[in-house]
Amino acid sequence: MSNLLEIEGLRVHFDTLDGPVEALNSVSFSVKEGEIMGVVGESGCGKSVTSLVTIGLASCEIDSGSVVFEGKQLVHQTPKSVQRKIEVSKRISSALLLATVLGLIWTLFEPILGIQAAVASLTLFVLTIVFILVQEIPRLSHESFLRSIRGNRISMIFQEPMTALNPLYTVEKQICEVMKEHGKVTEPEKKRAKRFIEALIYPVNLLYTSARERPIVLALLTLVTGTIVALHLRGLASQYDLYAFLLLPSIPFATYVFSSYNLDKADITNPANQSSLILPKDVAYSTLPIAFAVPLIVFLLLWLPFSALISAALICAILAIPPIQASNYFQLDPAHRRQVIEILDEVRIPNPETVAKMYPHELSGGMRQRVMIAMMMACEPKLLIADEPTTALDVTIQAQILQLMRDLRDREGTSIMLITHDLGVIAEMCDSVTVMYAGRVVERAPILELFSNPRHAYTRGLISCTPSLSSSRKSTLPAIPGQVANPSDFVSGCRFCQRMGRTGETLSAPPDLNEISPGHWVDMCPICTDKGQDSWE
Amino acid sequence: MGGNIGATEEIRTPPSDALIQVQDLKKYFPVKSGMFSNVKSHVKAVDGVDFSIRKGEVFGIVGESGCGKTTLGRVILGLIPITSGSVSYGGIDIREINNRELRRKMQIVFQDPGGSMNPRMSVRSIVGEPLIVNGLSDGAELTKKVGELLTSVGLKEGHMKRFPHEFSGGQKQRIALARALSLGPEFILLDEPTSALDVSVQAQVLNLLVDIQKMRDLTFVFIAHDLAVVRHISDRVAVMYLGKIVEMADADEIYQNPAHAYTKALISAIPSPDPNVDRNKDPLEGDVPSPIDPPPGCSFGHRLSHPNWEQSTKVDLSLKEISPGHWVQPCPCCTEGL
Repeated sequence: MSNLLEIEGLRVHFDTLDGPVEALNSVSFSVKEGEIMGVVGESGCGKSVTSLVTIGLASCEIDSGSVVFEGKQLVHQTPKSVQRKIEVSKRISSALLLATVLGLIWTLFEPILGIQAAVASLTLFVLTIVFILVQEIPRLSHESFLRSIRGNRISMIFQEPMTALNPLYTVEKQICEVMKEHGKVTEPEKKRAKRFIEALIYPVNLLYTSARERPIVLALLTLVTGTIVALHLRGLASQYDLYAFLLLPSIPFATYVFSSYNLDKADITNPANQSSLILPKDVAYSTLPIAFAVPLIVFLLLWLPFSALISAALICAILAIPPIQASNYFQLDPAHRRQVIEILDEVRIPNPETVAKMYPHELSGGMRQRVMIAMMMACEPKLLIADEPTTALDVTIQAQILQLMRDLRDREGTSIMLITHDLGVIAEMCDSVTVMYAGRVVERAPILELFSNPRHAYTRGLISCTPSLSSSRKSTLPAIPGQVANPSDFVSGCRFCQRMGRTGETLSAPPDLNEISPGHWVDMCPICTDKGQDSWE
Repeated sequence: MGGNIGATEEIRTPPSDALIQVQDLKKYFPVKSGMFSNVKSHVKAVDGVDFSIRKGEVFGIVGESGCGKTTLGRVILGLIPITSGSVSYGGIDIREINNRELRRKMQIVFQDPGGSMNPRMSVRSIVGEPLIVNGLSDGAELTKKVGELLTSVGLKEGHMKRFPHEFSGGQKQRIALARALSLGPEFILLDEPTSALDVSVQAQVLNLLVDIQKMRDLTFVFIAHDLAVVRHISDRVAVMYLGKIVEMADADEIYQNPAHAYTKALISAIPSPDPNVDRNKDPLEGDVPSPIDPPPGCSFGHRLSHPNWEQSTKVDLSLKEISPGHWVQPCPCCTEGL
């Protein structure tokens, strides 16, 4: 199997007010095709930063190193000299812009000289901008290259599904957006214009269908129209503003038509569905109070000047809302919706038709994470980066999500980079593991090798501190003392020795990453690789 | 609770050393909607729970999100009113105990250590506030007491002047524990104290909890959804599903001989840190149904769409003792053969 992703000697830092803070220090690992690679470590060990650098979303400065995906370099560094050039040019350009403005003001006193100065500085300003753009071309083209890869070839699942999904859009819209962006949607079934016209004639269509299907609606419709016509013929209409007055019964009537139409639709949805859906039925009931309130308002308005006009406008507006809501114009094309439903079905969401129309807040945590996975799988990526996908979930839901990701790998051959701090999840899912500590890879091995023969003290600590069903109850767990040091206090040598409060030369000499057996790389700190030196609490 | 009155009576008979006794406890939250906020239905968060906690015992409660674990804990503490049933502390109904007195005896540690602390208060005022409110100490004495409390949870006295944001998650949880210990309570409710923490920090906090419990002879209720953690710390474990206890037994017993299908499913879902175990086990399908309108009979059998589920609507589902101290909700679908 060839390597899909290769990270080599990655070193990054964040620029803070207190100076640069190193986040990663020589991170190297690779993900093979169709492999699930686990990255494990505590918070603050640089796991997430590594993944963000990989897809080009990190806001840090990259000092050195390379990230190669399918033979293409994902890390782009603008050379220092070019950066300085751009920096200087930007300052010059703002000075020139100021000069242009001053020149224009000068024209008030000395028109010719002022114009000349303004034009000269404006020309120089444009030239500087062009210069900056030329310098920026490599960076911008790299950025557009990354945009074409992100979400398409490499996609990422974030830890907190609620914050990763947009609360304002329905599930189907969000999934379809990714596909549209990368041109994966099929040909739309109906043209935009056709759908718009359909929406416009929707009320007429609605009345027509309900009148044809329900005799009572037809009778009511005839009665109202007949009364209006009759009154009009007798010349009574103009006396009492009867046009508007007679429209009153038509409002509850229209509401009735609308609600009955929706109730019909509600029957289609599966009644066996246990989740707390907002069915269209509820929407229909909620419009009933409006139906009673509106005639009252209109009745009051009738006694005012221009009353007929105002009330008619009001009635039209109120009548127009439900059809617009119900119309398909603001929704997805049926062909696209089918595509989305297919994807939701693939991640085994029950009732994909209903879920597709829901908003993220209506879904439970596990369902949200499924939607997130569905969105990320929409473009069939080669590499899926999952950043603690199950940390916020229950064990049972976690098992479902993990099973789902494993199925995806087996079916589509997607490689997965799984970031977590739970070694149980790693043992269950991964083919190989990278253990990170304080911005450094301390151990890297195939899964069986790592668990049977952990060489670094940190790996051993992580494995032993997880409570398991076989350990003796209420015993003291072998916890690793202390916590990961603040990145600004990192020593150049072995940082795990720093945490254990050791002194000596291991703190100053950076340990080498050596391959001790095929595929098993260990950070060779003499104390940390010695089992006898382990001292857990 | 119908037919099997004998079993119900038995579980309600408190052991002689019971500290907390919960009898047929129910907590329903009204669901309001419409123009005049009419009560349309109820969320049955806790729906008929019986158990008792002995003094000096760690009682674990497990279950998925939405099973009513947290609500049960808060009702026991008297933080939210009881709909029906009773909770008694040392033989007295908690509704009859003075609130101030109750808080001295019962304390709580919340899940999110950062969210349960005022960011503008120093650690000294956070930990010392209960002492000041109860008029127990002030001034230099308070500083001394807070220092002792911080030392007992593994922090330094010098941390007293710092603010919550200067601490990591594990340290914040230690501060929360020190605050809960400040009044010298007999009972502490731990509501998912470790689920927001890293494994290594979780191990540190668990060690601390075990030590403090042994040292001060405290009674804990430990709520969590991680079964391995609950097993590690608890003496007895109750498994909750949709507002009801479906199984309750000694911690070792429940993990070795789980009787209810839900307990089995929870146990098999724990990822084990051993790559040699069978990876392709079938996970439990679906989510916990909405407690607004729970299915009749055995709600877990309904989720599994078990063929015997129909029968469970016709039988009595109150807890039954299958071996000493091992209580199971007997139903034809989830505990076949009982």
